[in-house]
Amino acid sequence: MTSKRTITITKDALLNLYAARRFIDGSVQVDLELKIPFDVYFQDPLFAKNNPDLPTFDKAFVPWEPGLADGPTSARFAVVDYNGDTGALVPPAKWDEDTRHFADTGGIYVDGAYLEEKSDAIQAHQVHVWALVQRALDFFESGFGLGRRVSWAFEGSRLIVVPHAGYGQNAFYDRQSKSLQFYYFDSGPDKIYTCLSTDIVNHEFGHAVLDGIRPYFIEAIGPQTAAFHEFMGDLTAILIAFRNNDFRKYVGIKAQGDLSTDTALSNIAEQFGNAVRGRPYLRSARNPRKMSELSDEQRPHLLSEVLTGAMFDIIFRLSRYYIDVRKRTIPQAFWDTIQRMQQMAIQPLDLLPPVDVTFKDYALAVLRMEQIANPSDPDNYRGMMMDVFLWREILDKDEVDELKKPRQVFERLVLDVFHDVEEFSSSRAEAYRFLDDNRDRLFIPANVDLIVADLYVAQKLTRQARRLPKQVILQYIWREDVELKGAQFGRFDGQNTSLLCGGTLAFDQNGNVLAWARKPGPRCYGSGQRKGDDVDEREEGAKRLEAFLSSVAARVKSGRIGNILGGAKGLLGSKIPPLTSREVDGALRFELSPHFAIHDDSEDDMGERQWQISS
Amino acid sequence: MADKLLIRAYNVELGDCIYCRIPLAKVTNAGAVDFHMLIDCGSWGSFAALKSAIEHLKTGLPDAGHGKKRLDLLVVTHEHKDHIAGFDADLFKDLAIENIWMSTAMDRKHPQSERAFALQDYAKRAMRGLAALNLELGPELQDLVGLYGVSNDVAIETLQQTLPADNGIEPGYVHAGDSAAGLGIRLKDTTIEVLGPEEDIDGYYLGEEPDSSLRGLEATAEPFKPHMVDGAQPIPTNIGLADFRRLQSRMMSSALAFADEAGSVINNTSVVLLIQWKGKRLLFVGDAEWDTRFKEKKKNASWNVMWHLHKDKLEKPLDFLKIGHHGSINATPWNDAEDGEQTEPSTILDAILPQTRSSRAKAVASTLRKNYQSIPSAALLVEIGKRVQNATVYEEKLTAAGIKLRDLPFFAEREKRWLGSKQPLRTDFEGLLSDHSFVEVEIES
Repeated sequence: MTSKRTITITKDALLNLYAARRFIDGSVQVDLELKIPFDVYFQDPLFAKNNPDLPTFDKAFVPWEPGLADGPTSARFAVVDYNGDTGALVPPAKWDEDTRHFADTGGIYVDGAYLEEKSDAIQAHQVHVWALVQRALDFFESGFGLGRRVSWAFEGSRLIVVPHAGYGQNAFYDRQSKSLQFYYFDSGPDKIYTCLSTDIVNHEFGHAVLDGIRPYFIEAIGPQTAAFHEFMGDLTAILIAFRNNDFRKYVGIKAQGDLSTDTALSNIAEQFGNAVRGRPYLRSARNPRKMSELSDEQRPHLLSEVLTGAMFDIIFRLSRYYIDVRKRTIPQAFWDTIQRMQQMAIQPLDLLPPVDVTFKDYALAVLRMEQIANPSDPDNYRGMMMDVFLWREILDKDEVDELKKPRQVFERLVLDVFHDVEEFSSSRAEAYRFLDDNRDRLFIPANVDLIVADLYVAQKLTRQARRLPKQVILQYIWREDVELKGAQFGRFDGQNTSLLCGGTLAFDQNGNVLAWARKPGPRCYGSGQRKGDDVDEREEGAKRLEAFLSSVAARVKSGRIGNILGGAKGLLGSKIPPLTSREVDGALRFELSPHFAIHDDSEDDMGERQWQISS
Repeated sequence: MADKLLIRAYNVELGDCIYCRIPLAKVTNAGAVDFHMLIDCGSWGSFAALKSAIEHLKTGLPDAGHGKKRLDLLVVTHEHKDHIAGFDADLFKDLAIENIWMSTAMDRKHPQSERAFALQDYAKRAMRGLAALNLELGPELQDLVGLYGVSNDVAIETLQQTLPADNGIEPGYVHAGDSAAGLGIRLKDTTIEVLGPEEDIDGYYLGEEPDSSLRGLEATAEPFKPHMVDGAQPIPTNIGLADFRRLQSRMMSSALAFADEAGSVINNTSVVLLIQWKGKRLLFVGDAEWDTRFKEKKKNASWNVMWHLHKDKLEKPLDFLKIGHHGSINATPWNDAEDGEQTEPSTILDAILPQTRSSRAKAVASTLRKNYQSIPSAALLVEIGKRVQNATVYEEKLTAAGIKLRDLPFFAEREKRWLGSKQPLRTDFEGLLSDHSFVEVEIES
């Protein structure tokens, strides 16, 4: 069965194959043209120019869809090439179903050669940015990632992608306008289009996905949640960059003859990071920062370095392990690591609490997910990761000791009223009744109006592409009223706000609890799971409230809360503060603003002064 | 009183119109007479307030013959509406003006302002285009657009052509280093020195690499020009119209960014005057802004440039400060983090208004809390209030006058917390407390 045959597939047959695609292996999908390769920059044009020994282009395999249209427009994305500065609307690239290509207005096919030849091939940019985000979405939705379709945080299914939004050193995700916007600027003789930069696009896309799976993170005054958003963006960019085949070869070439693999990989990352424009995540990933050094840090980019550093430590330790113990070559070890990292870093996202995430929450989710996917853990990956989190001070010794205690991998919840998992996973209304009947046991106060924030089933895969047991994820939240009283709240003194509380419950198909991440409030009364639990829960809730209040005060003091100035014709980007406050139903909500600018936070902390308009 | 220097800040809502009379400072052949000067005449508010200010001003000025009143020196700090809107030929026709000083940054022929003017012209075109679209903009942005209104052109023309012609003088453009003596004004016991802006406008206030490069904007827009359409805006077909409108409103506007940038440059090229009279020091700062510190070859704020280049003139205590930019947080150097740290701005403040000398210093803010919630910064005014003699606890005064505090603009967010502390004289509150349309400060020799 080794001879090749050429067959013709009719349109109907193709649709049939498309419907069955999840049973078809990735490489076969490529052969059948169910996945179409698009040329995307491995990094960006300038990087390519400065690194001739590295590949210029990578191939992004985008799943074919029957509805692909001009734009490009696909099921989840709509490219709108509108330029705010000139008011110009560039005509969309045209999709040719017969040839499976996008073409520009002149009929020329858009591919890598075209991108390289014409420096201002703006319609080619449309295809480029679209292919990048399609690939990134697939990275998250695949079984090696979350194993399910993700929704956006806004009402609607298509994320608007703007490849040439205007002049500026900016790129950002904006929930309000359901968009990813990429700007361009000049740097000396070079014109830099952020839509051509793979890592910038992936970083911003990471924000969009995280917002989709955890929409309440945007309502966060604590600095770790904003930092987690930044970490998410950086992690997305790193993992996708490292998956490039040619990058592995590069690693192999550069590491040749180096005896210390730690140094080799570290140096490579650094060189790579230095060459990458605008996103210093790789430079900063190799940092020795610990949580205690950054305890007062409010700037998300800086704070996120601890977590990015931790994940990098894990990458290097894993690679080291594969080289030393499994005797893999450096490139092989690196590849194995990156594959595993997609699961180790992305799959735990489903276990995160629905509100107010901290680095510790993520570390616990990572460890828990590893335990679920790999209960026996013969290589002691969990032990290695705990070491890393301990060193970075994301977890403390007591927490690690507790985690090391042997326990059942799967437990049943203590409940007052039994609900079958089939039943409560069928709709939010059913899930609500399950939660409501068991408030006492689940630490949910009796008098709060409970909201089922999300409910879905995920089918993740293991490293060997075996199916993990199905996961049912149920997220619930409620609000506890808080009055801001005191001079430290500045202009918000005397106003009401709310502390978001809630939890994420993950079940397997038998109703065993896989994970439970809770964010309690100070008013949790009830029996809980074990005697004395409710006291612990209330204590935790009280701590949360205290941290919340001191975060508000700290933000007020440093002038980080303001208003977004804008109108029908656009926003005054330079004057947008990191946080805004708005009133909903008589109470204040503090929210993260879309983060502008791709460069690092400014060195001077300018406080409220920087939002002052100069008229 | 004949031997007291008078400063009168007219209540022109959110704007400046400041009269200063220096007793017996003007040297004439007939002996010494009072020296009368006016600094700015503009407002975001009504023209009527400016008109009554000038009408009142005339009543106190000496006769100059032919039915005119004499004004010895007119200073225009910078070309923002809230400083120039009142310059109307009719309103000023009965004034005989002997000297007009404007910021060098207003001289179109000045070679060292080329880039600043390019930025301003771009902003003007963009903002006028925006205004013409008649779109909905928040109040603060309305003002940013309004900064570039056509009415400004009229005021500039009045200042640079009409008034000089009517008075038989040349318009004067001043910069740091200039002085009354140097410019032919003979004074007794008095010096008037210009501390800012520096002649090299582009060098100091724009810097080597301005954040937003206009050339870059032009060059990078090239590929999009063929797709620009005159007339109706084309609509994308793959998203809905409502979604498109919302997208447009959430994109970063270069036009607004440049307008704001240009606005900042104009503020920082305000004329800063140091008047010394019989040992007393008075500082009038226009809308000069401050930054963390002076940065070589980069965009700088006025206060930092002055501290860097004219520290000897600036670092002695003042007897009077005209609080900059209507009490805005970024126009009087101070430690706005209020954490007790010593910073360059807090050092400047300690030098010019040391707390130990509070019984000798006075200050005035010509302001109104209207379009900009955050102007004036009450926290800043309280800080200044600790350092001056003419500070009041407005909570008591206003309540005593029967004014409902809750009715004050943005009371809860912007005034309440600070109203119980001493603040220097504010034209907005004083306007509520008295019939006068001005506040006065006297400096004794």
